[in-house]
Amino acid sequence: MFPSPPSGPFSVYIHLPFCLRKCPYCSFFSLPLKEEGRDRYIALIEGEMAAWKGTFAGGWADTVYFGGGTPSLLTPPQWKRLFDSLEGALPLGGTPEITVEANPESLTREHLSLWRERGVTRVSLGVQSFSDAELLWLERPHDGRRAEEALASIAEEGLSPSADLIFGLGGQTLRSWKYSLDRALSLGAEHLSLYQLSLERGSRWYSRPPEGRPDGYPFYRFAQWLLPRKGFAQYEIASFSLPGRQSRHNRAYWTNKPVLALGAGAWGYWGGRRCRNEDTLTGYERAVREKGRACMEWLELSEDEGAREAAVLYLRTAEGIPFGEFSSRYGGEILREILSILRELVPENCLEWRRESVALTPRGMRVGNSIWSLLI
Amino acid sequence: MDQKRIRNFSIIAHIDHGKSTLADRLLERTSTIDSRDMKSQILDSLDLERERGITIKLVPVKMLYTAADGEEYILNLIDTPGHVDFGYEVSRSLAACEGALLVVDATQGVEAQTLANAYMAVDQGLEIIPVINKIDLPSSRPDYVIREIEEVVGLDCEDIILASAKEGKGIDEILERIISKIPPPSGDPEAPLQAMIFDTEYDNYKGVICYIRVMNGTLRPGQNVQFTATGRVFPVEEVGVFRPGFTPCAQLTPGEVGYMVSNIKTIADAHVGDTITDNACPAPPLPGYRKVKPVVFCGFYPMDRDEYPQLRDALEKLVLNDSAISFEPETSVALGFGFRCGFLGLLHMDISKERLRREFGVELVATAPNVIYEIVTKKGEVIEAHRPSDFPELGDIDEVREPVIKLTLFVPADYVGKVMKLCQDKRGVYQSMDYLAPDRVRLIYELPLAEFIIDFHDKLKSQTRGYASLDYEYKELKAADLVRVDVLVSGEAADAFSFICHRDAAYHRGQAVVRKLKELIPSQLFEVPIQASIGKKVIVRSNVKALRKDVIAKCYGGDISRKRKLLDKQKEGKKRMKQIGKVSIPQEAFLAFLQVEEDEDK
Repeated sequence: MFPSPPSGPFSVYIHLPFCLRKCPYCSFFSLPLKEEGRDRYIALIEGEMAAWKGTFAGGWADTVYFGGGTPSLLTPPQWKRLFDSLEGALPLGGTPEITVEANPESLTREHLSLWRERGVTRVSLGVQSFSDAELLWLERPHDGRRAEEALASIAEEGLSPSADLIFGLGGQTLRSWKYSLDRALSLGAEHLSLYQLSLERGSRWYSRPPEGRPDGYPFYRFAQWLLPRKGFAQYEIASFSLPGRQSRHNRAYWTNKPVLALGAGAWGYWGGRRCRNEDTLTGYERAVREKGRACMEWLELSEDEGAREAAVLYLRTAEGIPFGEFSSRYGGEILREILSILRELVPENCLEWRRESVALTPRGMRVGNSIWSLLI
Repeated sequence: MDQKRIRNFSIIAHIDHGKSTLADRLLERTSTIDSRDMKSQILDSLDLERERGITIKLVPVKMLYTAADGEEYILNLIDTPGHVDFGYEVSRSLAACEGALLVVDATQGVEAQTLANAYMAVDQGLEIIPVINKIDLPSSRPDYVIREIEEVVGLDCEDIILASAKEGKGIDEILERIISKIPPPSGDPEAPLQAMIFDTEYDNYKGVICYIRVMNGTLRPGQNVQFTATGRVFPVEEVGVFRPGFTPCAQLTPGEVGYMVSNIKTIADAHVGDTITDNACPAPPLPGYRKVKPVVFCGFYPMDRDEYPQLRDALEKLVLNDSAISFEPETSVALGFGFRCGFLGLLHMDISKERLRREFGVELVATAPNVIYEIVTKKGEVIEAHRPSDFPELGDIDEVREPVIKLTLFVPADYVGKVMKLCQDKRGVYQSMDYLAPDRVRLIYELPLAEFIIDFHDKLKSQTRGYASLDYEYKELKAADLVRVDVLVSGEAADAFSFICHRDAAYHRGQAVVRKLKELIPSQLFEVPIQASIGKKVIVRSNVKALRKDVIAKCYGGDISRKRKLLDKQKEGKKRMKQIGKVSIPQEAFLAFLQVEEDEDK
């Protein structure tokens, strides 16, 4: 049932689904759990890790990502226990990239110093905005000042800070957007994830959209203009970073590298197939107790579908589709087909053709969806 | 029954002047309908006729009446439609009569349509009995209306009947006048058979039922009859009269109006206007009357593409009962398979669409109506153009001719200016204007049919608050400076959007089309130029700006499958669009150009 493990590096994603409350635009799996519920959940993660333990024939974890939810809601002792279990169960590489997602309202100095001690390298902070009005509109539980303190504390602790910022918010102006970007940079962010407020199925706002959302174009365009001037390169549709501060973990997703998923509702990519863990707490608990592993479904794509999806993912990145790697993984014929679609149906100024790869230009990144839908 | 005691007549009246109510009273008075079965508008059997208060299909009925002289007479009433589109039905029923009641509303006066039908009756040598109806209404002006009938129609009104069909006033007088004034039919029962088909109807069990008027000879079941137009012979299975339902009888003699069943399975075998004779001793055909030709065309497409066969069946059945409709298969980029249908006018088109929906359960999309053009090429060939794509290249055209109508309008004097302006806007050519009364004017214009069918009637109604009436007759094909305006999307001709119009209107209409397309075509990866051109000359241009930005979203592990589904959806949406070159055009864009605007206040 489970494909053989990779013999080289792989990534690990651990989902920690707790939140103080669910944000109106969020469609992820999250739970408003009490203290004892968290302990019980950690025990399940430990159970799942134990089931995997010893099956990594020669492979090692190169990146680990604790995502949520709000991972910073776990207490430092809970974190200590989590790291102990992780180190006991998974083979870690020499210089692993370990990222934790955190929210300003729950991030503390204790978290940061413990994380640093246990090898965490990056902290991705859910800032969303530094404007109080915008945060209120988004129904976030923190204000701008709290976000500033939290972001500053990450750098002070010697960890690499990344900030998430959202555009297209009610009442947002180019001026307030510039303010948020400037604050993030001056408080030491080395990596930015910028994305547009989108109301996805499963979120509260999906069926009742809030009013007054501005068009996202000028915000994104402005970020694409400003950030390179501050030393930040756009290395992916929604990601900007200082040199050497790209997220290795996220790159693994965009290049279809193996990702081991742990926790309820977590997605992974293992043995060339996308897989998903049980996405209810009871289902996850039963699976772990009965089988150890909690995978609910394996998504089987045809060769052709897999190749097209891979091309779309590669095109998210500034490196684009590497011809050599792509054709050795998916075949030369599908590569030629994809390239001919790009050549014929996509305007020249959206693509940058190089000797060994093709990538989207900044303009191309702005209309990525329309380009990708030609390839799928 | 003695031929001398038969009277065949019809009723000529404008819509709402009370024709159906008068017919109801005549049926009651002659005890043709049991008062228990009486309902209003009894002869209008189609639901649509009742709802809209109009008569669409002619319906004959036989009444028995004992007159003041003590004799019993047969009165055959051949009811006729009153709307301008159905003039041909009127001419058919008039051909089966010796007389007609001309009913005029005492509050409204003579309307354009009434006048046209009255003249048609006079031309056919019918005896006309003028009746002024609705004299019970407080606003009735019988003296004024009498003068109008004398001056405008030119009828002697010395002993005109003043009636109120609603209150039953004047009904006996009308019946007596029919007996005394309308001549009995002539014809020799011993002569070779000559019977005229004035309508047909299709019955699932009996086949085609022919409505006939016997001119000479006698028609009986068992006889073998020949249809002179086709030469085909059928045995007569049943003959009968309308009481008002089908009532079999032993024979039909000269002057009688009735029906004949002879197991005819296709309508093509029984032409309306044809003559039926005895196969044993054929007689020459009776003079036929003007065969009708559809003048207004539109496309009918099933709402659900899978329902094409149902639409075809429904149309075939409808044509069995309405031989004036023509149809042939056609395809459209936007709508798929459908039919190009020809009608006698807009109301006829509308009624047919509604009948397909109600009687056959077919939901359909109707494209905007158009006319047929005649094109003379430089080589001297004459081409019939049904659609813009039938037009040859601009350089190959010597002359384009379009159908022109003679339009007669009766307008209150206050609105003359507005109506003249409307006619001029519609490229009308002024013919004459005269005052029927100090406050009523008759205007005559020559107007292109193509302009008339767009929205003339609606505009006339709204600009005169419904006080104007009109009549038109097809006149001729006339040369005009008409051009085909092509629409190019990203440099490629988009046939579905091209149209024919007068050169002077090309710029404005081209601009409207380009503006609309610009709204309806979503932004694409490329800038999309939209142009309207006459031949190679571009007259209007605009651009759909290139897409600036999609939604920018994060994409991590779990999102990949979800993102993929979203992209799949985007792609599916695109598949439903029509590709012209690299440009995806949504269905709505085509529909916006094809569909008839739904008019709520019909």
